[in-house]
Parts: sequence; C-alpha cells; structure tokens
Amino acid sequence: MASRFWTQGDSDTEEEESDYDEQEDNVAVETTTATAASRYYSGNASDSDDSDGQKRVVRRVKDKRFDELSATVDQMKNAMKINDWVSLQESFEKINKQLGKVMRVTESDKPPNLYIKALVMLEDFLNQALANKEAKKKMSSSNAKALNSMKQKLKKNNKLYEDMINQCREKPELFEEKVEEQESEDDVESDTSEYPDNLESEESDDEEETGNDAETGSGWEKMLSKKDKMMDKQFKDPSQITWDTVNKKFKEIVAARGKKGTGKMELVEQLTFLTRVAKTPAQKLEILFSVVSAQFDVNPSLSGHMPINVWKQCVQNMLAILDILTQYSNIVVDDMVEPDENETQKGADFSGTIRIWGNLVAFLEKVDVEYFKSLQVIDPHTREYVERLKDEPLFLVLAQNVQEYLEKVGDTKGASKVALKRVELVYYKPQEVYDAMKKLAELDSGDAESGEEKVQEIRGPTAFVATPELVPRKPTFPENSRALIDILVSLIYKYGDERTKARAMLCDIYHHAIFDEFSTSRDLLLMSHLQDNVQHMDISTQILFNRAMSQLGLCAFRAGLVLEAHSCLSELYSAGRVKELLAQGVSQSRYHEKTPEQERLERRRQMPYHMHINLEFLEAVHLACAMLLEVPNMAANVHDAKRKVISKNFRRLLEMSERQTFTGPPENVRDHVMAATRALRHGDFDKAFTVIKSLDVWRLLRNKDSVLEMLKAKIKEEALRTYLFTYSSAYDSLSLDHLSKMFDLSDAETRSIVSKMMINEELHASWDQPTGCIVFHDVEHTRLQALAFHLTEKVTVLAETNERAMEARFGGGGMEGLPLRRKDGQDYAGAAASGGGGGRWQEFSFNQNRQGSSGGRGGYTISGRASAPGLASSGFSRDRQARLGRAYHTGSGARGGQSDGSARMVNLNRGVRT
Amino acid sequence: MASKFDLTPRIAPNLDRHLVFPLLEFLQERGLYPEEDILKAKIELLNHTNMVDYAMDIHKSLYRSDDVPQDMIDRRAEVVGRLKVLEDGAAPLIGFLQNPQAVQELRADKQYNLQMLNERYQIGPEQIDALYDYAKFQFECGNYSGAADYLHQYRALCTNNDKSLSALWGKLAAEVLMQNWDIALEELNHLKEIIDSKNFSSPLNQVQNRIWLMHWSLFIFFNHDNGRTQIIDLFNQDKYLSAIQTNAPHLLRYLATAFIVNKRRRPQFKEFIKVIQPEQYSHDDPITEFLACIYVNYDFDGAQKKMRECEEAILNDPFLGKRIEEGNFTTVPLRDEFLENARLFIFETYCRIHQRIDMGVLAEKLNLNYEEAERWIVNLIRTSKLEARIDSKLGTIIMEPNDTNVYEQLINHTTALSNRTYKIVHQLLENAPAQTAR
Repeated sequence: MASRFWTQGDSDTEEEESDYDEQEDNVAVETTTATAASRYYSGNASDSDDSDGQKRVVRRVKDKRFDELSATVDQMKNAMKINDWVSLQESFEKINKQLGKVMRVTESDKPPNLYIKALVMLEDFLNQALANKEAKKKMSSSNAKALNSMKQKLKKNNKLYEDMINQCREKPELFEEKVEEQESEDDVESDTSEYPDNLESEESDDEEETGNDAETGSGWEKMLSKKDKMMDKQFKDPSQITWDTVNKKFKEIVAARGKKGTGKMELVEQLTFLTRVAKTPAQKLEILFSVVSAQFDVNPSLSGHMPINVWKQCVQNMLAILDILTQYSNIVVDDMVEPDENETQKGADFSGTIRIWGNLVAFLEKVDVEYFKSLQVIDPHTREYVERLKDEPLFLVLAQNVQEYLEKVGDTKGASKVALKRVELVYYKPQEVYDAMKKLAELDSGDAESGEEKVQEIRGPTAFVATPELVPRKPTFPENSRALIDILVSLIYKYGDERTKARAMLCDIYHHAIFDEFSTSRDLLLMSHLQDNVQHMDISTQILFNRAMSQLGLCAFRAGLVLEAHSCLSELYSAGRVKELLAQGVSQSRYHEKTPEQERLERRRQMPYHMHINLEFLEAVHLACAMLLEVPNMAANVHDAKRKVISKNFRRLLEMSERQTFTGPPENVRDHVMAATRALRHGDFDKAFTVIKSLDVWRLLRNKDSVLEMLKAKIKEEALRTYLFTYSSAYDSLSLDHLSKMFDLSDAETRSIVSKMMINEELHASWDQPTGCIVFHDVEHTRLQALAFHLTEKVTVLAETNERAMEARFGGGGMEGLPLRRKDGQDYAGAAASGGGGGRWQEFSFNQNRQGSSGGRGGYTISGRASAPGLASSGFSRDRQARLGRAYHTGSGARGGQSDGSARMVNLNRGVRT
Repeated sequence: MASKFDLTPRIAPNLDRHLVFPLLEFLQERGLYPEEDILKAKIELLNHTNMVDYAMDIHKSLYRSDDVPQDMIDRRAEVVGRLKVLEDGAAPLIGFLQNPQAVQELRADKQYNLQMLNERYQIGPEQIDALYDYAKFQFECGNYSGAADYLHQYRALCTNNDKSLSALWGKLAAEVLMQNWDIALEELNHLKEIIDSKNFSSPLNQVQNRIWLMHWSLFIFFNHDNGRTQIIDLFNQDKYLSAIQTNAPHLLRYLATAFIVNKRRRPQFKEFIKVIQPEQYSHDDPITEFLACIYVNYDFDGAQKKMRECEEAILNDPFLGKRIEEGNFTTVPLRDEFLENARLFIFETYCRIHQRIDMGVLAEKLNLNYEEAERWIVNLIRTSKLEARIDSKLGTIIMEPNDTNVYEQLINHTTALSNRTYKIVHQLLENAPAQTAR
C-alpha cells in the first residue's frame, strides 16, 4: 500500500511525499522500529562486503541503492570536513532522492537508519557552524548562501523524521554499529574518494556504464566546486596571497569559461571573490572586466534578458571599474592590443601607463541592450515593469560616467556613442516625464546606494585594493530635457560616426516634434537628407525614422498644418502595416506567411511599451487630415475622381463604408471619420465636427481645446470649399453674408478662402464688390468641348509616341528630347489657364520640374518650396516614395545618388544653430 | 515703438566693426534710441579698434567733460608705438611700391615677382606679411584708403590663400567705408567666386561666409544704381537663399523690398512668395508680412495696414531709408517707389478676383483720395496695364473678363503638333536612305 506512493512520485515533489510519509510513519514507527532496524543492518552489512571490491559485479537492486546511499553519506562527511556547504547542500538533495528509491526497493515505509544517522550528523554540524560566527564570516558568499538555505531545508526535512532522530539521539548505539563499519571501509576507500564521488553524482539507476561515460562532464562541476573550497582555503590567510596566486587562479577560472558544465553564476561568484583578493589595481580591473563579461554570459539566449539583479550587479561593477580608472589615471583600457602577460603586476605606485584589455563602450552598449530587452519581455501592465523602469537612472548615471571618462581620456568617438545611448533614453520623454524621472533619480539613488553598500560589505573579506567611490553615483540632469539633448546631440554631431549621427538626428527631430517645434524639427529633417538615404540604414534606424516621422506628423497636426501632417503620415498608412513600421506589435499579413525566423527577428526589435506612440491617436490624426484634404478634392473633381487622389488609403476606406447597406453608429476611429466625411460632403460642418470631437483619443492631447478649435476652423473652411465646388454650378451669384452665416465664419475669413480659390482657378468666379456677391462665370465646357480637349490630348500623346519611336529607332533623339520638353512646358501655361482641361499636362510638367530640381539643389530649398500649397506633397512624398518598399526590405534601394553630403549637412546645420 | 522693426542688432554681429559705424550714425540721426546709449555703443565699438582719438571725442561728448580715462590715453600711446613698429617692418616693401619705376618691373607672374623682389630688393615673405599687418593696422586706425591700397598690393604678392581671402574682405570693407560702390561691387563679385568655389574649407564655413557676404553687400546694393537687380540675383540663388533661411531670415526683408521695387523680376517673385510663407514663423517683418497678406491670405485690409508699417520700417532702416537732399527737401526715394509698387500689387491682385469695384473703396484701399484714384486707374487703363472700364455714373470699375476662349485653347494645344509631325517626317526621310543603304 505504502509502496505505491513511493513508486508514483519518487523524485519530483518531496514535500508532498513527506506529508504522506509522516502519516504512515506515525503508525509504523511505534511498532516496527527495532526489527526493521536490525533487518536493514544485516542487509546492509552483507552487501557492503560485496561492494568494496570490483564494481562490475552484478548486485541486487536493493544493495545497489544502499550503496549509493552510503556513498552519499560519505560524500557529506567529506564536505563537512572541509566546511563546504555548497556540495553539502547538493549531497543533501541527492540523499533525499535516493531515499525514495531505497524505500521503494525495500518496500518499507521507514527510512533506513543510515539516513537518519546522516540527518543527525548534519544537524549537529549545522548547529556547530552557525554557532561559530568567525568561520561564517570567512566563508565565500556562495558558501554562506548555501549554509543559509541548508539551515532552512534541514529544519523542514527533519520535522518529518523527528521521532526517529530523537530515538537516534537517545540510543546512538542502535544506529552506531553500522556506521562504524561503514566508516572503517570508508577509510580504506578515502584515497580514491574522488572517483566514487563522481559516480554518485550520476543518477542513472542501473547502468554503471553511462555513469562512467558522463563522468567527465560532471567531473568539471565537481572539480570546480572543489577548487572553490580550495580557493577559500588558499586565500584564507591574506598574508600568503601573492599576485601570482591570484593571477593563476584567475587564468584558471577564465579558462573554464564557456566550457560545458561550467556554472555561469558560479563563475561570476568566483571571479567576484577574486576581485576582493586582487593585489594591484590593474589586476582588480582586469578581473572586474572578466566579471562583467561573465555576467553578460549568464543569459545565453538572444531573446531572453539578463536577470535583473545580475544586471544591477553588473552596473555596480562597471561603476567600480570607473572608480579604479579615475583613481589610477595611468591605467589605459584598450581592446586593440593584446597587453603584456604581466602588465597587471605593476602596482598602484607604478607611474607608467598600464594597458588593460577591455572595451567600456561595448560593455555599456551591452548593458543597454539588456535593459532594453528586459523591458521588451516584461509584461507592461505589471508592477515589475514599473520597477524595471525605475532602474533607468541607474543606467543613465553609468552612461554619464563612462562618457565623462571617455571624454577625459580623449576617446571622443566612444563618448559620442555613449552620448547616443543617453539620448535614446531621453528623446521620447515629454517634459513631464522627464521631470518625473529627474525627481526619481534624485530621490531614489540615495537609498539604493546605501542598500547596495551593505550588500557588498556582507559578501566577503575586505578587498585588498580598496577603491573609494570616486565617480558620482547620482545622475545629474539639466533643468529641461531640451538642454540635455542639445548638449549630447552637439557632441555627437561633432564626433560621432555616420550611424550615430543619423540616429541622434532622428532623436533630435523626434524630441523637437514632441515639444511642438514643428519648423525646427522639419528643417532638421530636410537639411539632414535623412529621407534620401534612410533606406540604406539598418532596420532599427529605419524604425526610429518612422517614429520620428509620425511624431512630426502629429506635431504638424497640433500646429494646424494639415497638409504637412498628412504627407508625414500617409506613407505609414499606405501599406497598412503601421504596427510593423513602428515596431509596436506584429501585424498579421494575409498574403505572405512569415517564417518563425522572421517573426523572431521582428519580436526582437519591438519597442518597449512605454515608448509607444498611441496608434489610435495616430490613426485619428491621419484620417482627419486625409478627410480635410480629400473631401474638397473629391468635390472638385467629381467627373474624373480617379485622376487626382490625395490619400489612397482614405479613398479605399470610404469606398468600403459606402458599400455597406446599413451604417450603424460609429464605433472605432475609422467609423467616426467616415461618418464625419459623409456629413462634410454635404457641407454639414457642425455634424462633422461633433462626430470627430466625440473620439476619445483627443484626450491625449496636451492642449486639447485649442487643437479642437483649430480642427473646427479647418472643418468649416473645407466645408465651405466643398460646398462651393459642389454647388457653384447651380448658382449665378451668392452673397458673402449668406455664405458666412451658413458656415459660421467671419466675413474676412470667407472672403479670404473664396479669394484664394479664385486665384488658384479652382472656382471660376469673381467678386462683385459693391453688392458683396460672388458672381460665377460660366466656363464649364460643353460636352463637345470636353471631347475636343480629350482628342487633342490623345493626339499629343500620339505625336509623342511617334517621336519616341523615332528616337528608339535612330537613336538620334538625344537632342530632340529637350525642345520637346520645353514645348510641353508651354502647353502647360495654356492648359493651366483653362483649368480642368489640362490636368495631365499639368502633372507632367510638375514631374519634370521636380526631376530638374532635385539634382543640384541644396536640401533646404526643397523645404522652402515644398511647403507651398501646390508642391508640398511632392516635397515630402517625393523623398519618401522609396520608403514604401523599403520599410523592411532594404536591398531594393530604388534611389541612390543623393547620399553624398548629407552627413556634412547634418554637421553644418547643427553647428550653425547652436 | 518704431524700434520694433529695427534690424541693427541682428545685422551688426555679421558686420565688421567699422561697418557698424554707419548704422549707428543712422540710428543716431533717426533718434530711435536714446543718444547716450548710442554713444556708449560707439565707444564700445571703438575700444577694440585703433581709432582712439575718435573714441576720446565721443567720450567727451558723452560725459560732457574734457577728462579722458587713463586707459584710453595708455591705449593711444600703445597704438602709436605699434604703428611705428609695423611701419618699420613694412617699410622696405612700401618704399619699393612707392617707386613707380620699380613697380614697372612687376609682371603678371607671381612667382617671378617674388623671386625678383627677393633677389633685387631683399624683400622676402616676412616683409610681405608685414605689409598685410600694416594694412590691417591702418584699417583699424580708420585710414581706409591706405589700407585698401596696401591690401590690393598685398594680394598681388601673397601666396597664402587664407590671408589673401582676409585681405579681400578687408579691401571690401575699406571700399564700402569709402563709398566706392563700383570698386566694392567688383570686390564683392570676386569674393563671391572664391566662396562658391568648390575647394572652400568646410560647408559650415562656406555658409557663414555667404551670410557675411550678404550682409556686407547690403551697403553696396542699396547704394549702387543697379543694386536692386543685383541683390535679387545674388540673394535669390539657391545656395544663398537657403543660407538666409537657415541663419539670417531677417535678410528676407531686403530681398522682399527689392522684389517689390523691381518690376523686372516677376517670374522669380512667384517662387519667392513660396519661400516667404514657411519662413514667417522664424521672423516677423512688416514687408514680408505685407507680401503674405496679398499673396497668401488675400487679406487686403491687412495689407493696407502693413503698408503703413512698411513705410515706417523703411524710414528707420539704415539701408532702405537712405535720404537724398534736394534743396530744402529730403526725400527717401525708396519709400516712394516702394509705396507706389505696393499699391500696384494690391490693386492688381484685387482686380484679378473682382468683377466690379467701387471707386471709393478702392481709393481707400490704395491710400489715395477719390480723384487721385481715378486718375491713377485711368492711367493704368491707358497704358493698357489693366483691362477695365470706369462707370463714372455709378462710380465703379468694371473688369473685362479675361477667360481665354475655349477654341483658342484648343488651337494653342494643337498648333505645335503639326510642326512636330512635320519634323518627324523630315527626320524619317533623312534617315531612311541611310538605313536602306545598309
């Protein structure tokens, strides 16, 4: 009956087992103790005879189990002798497992005496160790930890066997006999103790062969832990430690790194211990570098992140490195030259330069990556995420110190890289968030420091090379984030490499955009030519570019620049992969399946949650802008709506919503905008605005009221324009008063809007000033006239085709092309005058202008011209055409060429500005 | 206050110390700022030049006393001493240059000249450099004509590019201060070539130099006869325009004024309007705002108000508000021209979108009385600048509709076609034998 329990859960859950165990024991112990004990004796005694000889002999299963058990006990004894709690703990766990097996085999419900004896022994030893405070202090940190956990485990475990233990204590001789026997054998075997040790560690039940095979693997672990012990011993006496011993040990440990079976945490601990006994600052530094890189090794996978406490330790170690470096300015960190073997022997009083291998920038970047990854992985809706965010100042202080150090040393390139890391942590923060971070840093770092100090003190013997904390442990922040960014960014522009500069520029643009400085931000973008060559950059930079673009769009919208906002955002929405482009989630594509590999890559570049741009808000802004532009545009070109499309995305959505037979009340952003569009097309600006206003994403706006006010004004204006486009043909004249009243605009506004339409030849009308009326001219082409225009258009195309055919045939067309083009330009002049008729020519010559101008002209002028009504979209979108295909499939690179002086421009403009 | 439109603080940093003087003089004359402040500013300026005597004079008039602070006297002694030293240094070369016979021996070949000087007169690079220093010192002392001469000769002899460039700047400044506009213009163009040349040091430097050049050129363009066209030619180049946009948006005022005053540059004008629009955020100026009112917002009332501000701004601008004394009158020619043209601009645009205009309203908009307005319009109609008729009974102007005829458009589109077709055929025939022969 009882045995069934054992068979079921022999190894996995000890606790549960023990519960049952207890119940059974209560009954069993009373009655059968004595007899059972003797039975075990005999059994045990007999097989111990067998066991001391060769191992190949086939034995009974039961015996083998007992063998194992006793061997483990031996092991424990050995461990006790050298005070090694780590291996003791391991053995203890092992013995508990073995106990289960033994019980199963013997089909009894009572633990063997051997086990009880071991427990007693362990308890005694534990009490003794706890009592000895001196020894405890000297223990290595891992050892001390093991001791503590052992204490707890033993307490719990011993409760189960309380009666038997008490019994044992009362009548030791009952248990003793056998142990003695065991011990005598033990003495014989003790010479070769290492071998059986290894065997024991193997858990395979019946095959000794495998045990031997795996020996080497597990051997390493054991050896190391032994070494750990040795190390403790070796370094117990401070006076005996020399540079050589430390160096030897260090080399040994480092050699073990990366080999199979080396415990990663263990490695870190050993090295940490070594830092304490290092003899010279240089040596300490060298070991610290290894500690940091060992800490990076703790997390092997690319997708997972480094444990947070390790991360924090790592940052502390980095700070310690900096401490040493600042204290001993003659130590140089370099990763280019392999330093001399005994370089670190030179002591603190050595005045020449000492070279140490290491790369601070790479370490810092790695720390940053780990931080970023942890934020990616942690669920943003938990406390853990918030806690993790609070570690940011810790990293900032490290980065700041590293940067300062590098600047002092004169490694400006490295410094600019580090500066970029700092920029990347700050650029997306609005002033409020920045203030909060600043406060947190000031408040928090004090506490954290003192806590950290304590931990370090407990950990082990005092270090030989004590370094005072030289570098500040608190980050310093300028009053506002702009100032901080300005400082960092101008450093980067001065010294950084291309990529660093480009990224810094993008961050700068983003930051300006957050702070509602549209014009500065746009100028930066245009001057840097980033649109032209961003598709040649790495994906993470492209994502940053997309983020900056969308933020720029939002900024333009807040400033009331609908056209600019739209041209910034339309590209993002053209392919319907906004999430992907902004790295804020994975969008499912119907048409092409992603391989797991792709998916993993994509997951790895996701933005952490707190950096997200609200997608709903973005969509609302984009669609609202598209609506404002597209509705009057559609009204103006009713007859050939296909010809001039401003926002394809919007058109598609509109078509979809029109196809519905029944339109319900709006639910999402899209529905709202569509409902508003329907109203706006009828000139019902009030309804359109109410619908748009009811979107609750607007609450994300800082100056919500003024933006909504702006939006209302825009909607009114566009409603007026739409109305005029749609109904002008039905009127001969319209009075200004009437119009103003209809659209709730002031006379001056109405006049200005209508005048603009007249000048741009959108509206064929003129003012009758004395009566304050708009008089419409009848310039609509009759059907015949329209057809005639079509005909001429086609004939022109025909002529052109002929000419081209000629060119292709005879090849002499090189010079022919030029006059032809010019003629087109002339046509354009005429066509423009006719209004609707010459649309195609108009476009054609637009293209031509663009091509002509994009060549030699400096970037800035594009901006100048781009922002004028007619050309604006071309200015922005021309450069952004390529982004469509580019987003993730970089190679295509449709446009090259202009990449030359971009970086110089970056430099130039910043320099001038500051 | 009128000083709102004063650009001096923004222009001054881009000028040479000496060039700021005329500006200060002008401001003093206009009385925009307290006299005392200007005098102080002048002393401040002079402290870093060598014109110590002048500084002393100003000091006296500022504090109304004959005492001069000790440091000025010390400085005077120092300047005189230094002058002596430099003069001695440059003496051999100056002696050579003042000897017309010796100068005859110089040829166009620089290398030859240097060698010749070295061999025959023992004048080496040190002496030549000394000439440069001496010229600079002369300039600092306010002896512009001397400085200009020396610099000219220095440039003929020197081989150092950087120094040659600064010598050129010095020459330009000296010519401007002496008001030799023609020569200054030559130097300006020379300088522009150097700056635009490809091998100029860094782009940043290049932009900075362009900005300086444009600021300095203001002196020349608004004084030279043909300056108003040339300012457009210079400023409106893409490179210069972008420099203005990035670093010196206040210069747009001058370009705008030049455009308004100059009728011959209409095509570029349209482009310029597009430039103005986005630049408004960075700089508000009545003149650019005026253009924005007419061409961007079509706000004619606003334009009218701006016109008054413009007048004020022009009068208080050292470059634009140049006075000409004719007998007892002082006139500001540019102001009159500006107003006339601005009026025309308003009217033109206004007419384009109107069919019928009340004369009274128009007169008001143009800042004229009824009679004047009528005369003005009649003139325009007579010179066929305007297609309109006046209905004097109702007191309105009626525009002639200027829609182009549909048939005309069709003809326009197609006329070129026949020509093109003819050309093709011709070409075809020409090539055909060659093809068949092969």
